Amino acid sequence: MSWQRVLALMLRIVRQFRRDRRTLALILVVPVLVLSLIGYIYRGSGEPTRLAVVLESDSPLARQVIALLEETSSLHVTVMEREQALQAVDRREVDGVLVLPSLPVQPGTQPKVELILEGSQPSAAGAVVSAVSRALPLAIIQTMSPSGQAIQIEPRFLHGGPQFDQLDYFAPTFIGFFAFFFVFLLTSVSFLRERLQGSIERLIVSPLDRKEIVLGYMLGFTLFATVQSIVMVIFTVAVLRIHYAGELWLVVFLTFLMTVGAVNLGIFLSAFARTELQVVQFIPIVITPQGLLSGIIWPVDSLPRPLQWLAQILPLTWANEALRAVMIRGEGLDALGLHLAVLVGFAVAMAALAMVTLRREVA
Amino acid sequence: MDATVVADEVSRTFGPVRAIDRLTLEIPRGVIYGLLGPSGSGKTTFLRMVVGALRPTEGQLLVLGRTMPDREVAARIGYMPQTAALYPDLTLRENLAFFGRIYGLRGRKRLEERVEQLASDLGLLGWVDQQLYRFSVGMLQRASLACALLHQPELLVLDEPTVGLDPVLRRSLWAHFRQLAEQGKTLLISTHTMDEADRCDLLGFLRGGRLLASDTPAALRRQTGQADLEDAFLALAGQPGIPVGEP
Repeated sequence: MSWQRVLALMLRIVRQFRRDRRTLALILVVPVLVLSLIGYIYRGSGEPTRLAVVLESDSPLARQVIALLEETSSLHVTVMEREQALQAVDRREVDGVLVLPSLPVQPGTQPKVELILEGSQPSAAGAVVSAVSRALPLAIIQTMSPSGQAIQIEPRFLHGGPQFDQLDYFAPTFIGFFAFFFVFLLTSVSFLRERLQGSIERLIVSPLDRKEIVLGYMLGFTLFATVQSIVMVIFTVAVLRIHYAGELWLVVFLTFLMTVGAVNLGIFLSAFARTELQVVQFIPIVITPQGLLSGIIWPVDSLPRPLQWLAQILPLTWANEALRAVMIRGEGLDALGLHLAVLVGFAVAMAALAMVTLRREVA
Repeated sequence: MDATVVADEVSRTFGPVRAIDRLTLEIPRGVIYGLLGPSGSGKTTFLRMVVGALRPTEGQLLVLGRTMPDREVAARIGYMPQTAALYPDLTLRENLAFFGRIYGLRGRKRLEERVEQLASDLGLLGWVDQQLYRFSVGMLQRASLACALLHQPELLVLDEPTVGLDPVLRRSLWAHFRQLAEQGKTLLISTHTMDEADRCDLLGFLRGGRLLASDTPAALRRQTGQADLEDAFLALAGQPGIPVGEP
């Protein structure tokens, strides 16, 4: 093992990166761009859901319902005639129509509130239903006893907080996912090029041994992945003001472990590709399942049981859990023993596979 | 003096194809050994076995006294593959620096001296800090040769080193090869042109993976009674039964 040779290889990869401005932009700018977009989607004010209300007769209760609905953020309420409202929902000008019957209802009759939903967009329909089902009972209580209070719910958060939202939940995992994705893609393409342009043969017949090749590649690529994760951590914390409770260096460290695995997976899989397009074909196999099942968007607990089992064997699942534990719950290394063991195991297993692949180069 | 390359009944098969068939030869130190043969005759396969990129299927192949692949010996061999096999996004200096460090060339100053000297020997002065994707085929060929020469190896294995080069450059390269041989380096060069074959000290005729003959150009002429090397080759190819190396 010669560190001079390992460093030479690492230095070469760094040089090639510096020359390749577009790839550099890809790994540093794209994650920031995607995070900004997601941040804007979650935290910017979107188009409100539109609700038409039809009053069959005016009453204090009906007015109270409308007042409460209008208080609801991101809901736009318009009072309309029945015919007009039905046409509007048909033409998708409103997302739902609430028909308030004569209130209060006659004793002995079942009160019936008609709610017509456009329905082709589940999130809009859901927003209408939840706003209406919140406003109606509240209005009844408030109208019946004007001084009366609805039951107050006082949430007390163990982690996160009242401001904690979806973006806070996603952000830690995005850092791990981007590092894994880009490092895997770049290593496999770069190793494939090495094979296509024949320089791998020069390396194989040189004094470099397989360990040195794998190590040099690992150092070169994890260097950039680490820079990437630092940029992402700084951006999420300083610009997006993502909630964080734990040590940020731990986030970078977990990402580093993940990328060591990704570099070696890239070297290993590049042996099965003959063109760069074939490398891209590995994305649906390697990246997509991990993107969907590793708990980035849907928590692993919420998946159907067989998919949970599948998620357990994906390294990204363990990385994501650990990243969330650190960033959201502020846990330290001591609480993450199993996760670290899995990630280190993954890295070692992939390094072994990469070495086997390199052995096959001397046919 | 020990032979640099000793092949004893070396064979190499790729599936059903026998690329090298029971090849036996010896290359002494300090000579230029030319491997002559049509394309597909197994030249590259043999060279790749010598540098340790392929293992023989049968037989024994000793290079600088060791069975290849061998990491210690690897540092004492310079290999120029048929394609440039360098990094097009790096400059010539960066490519050379990379391979220099891998081959244990120490010291920035020593490296810089080698780079300047090779660039001037190979007519690449002024291109040292250009990225290789700007290079023409002939320039890439010379850049690749520079990489093989960089660490001043004892054994140089060059796979068709002068393809695509103009006659002036070709001549100056062969003068350079001769100089290296006089310094005691051994050169194993594959070629398919007869004028180059004539410049070698020893010549091996390869056809269909079999070594038809291995001797000095003069001896091969004598043996076949042909004044022209090409005719000599054809004569040998037509009569594969002729005992090898005996006039």
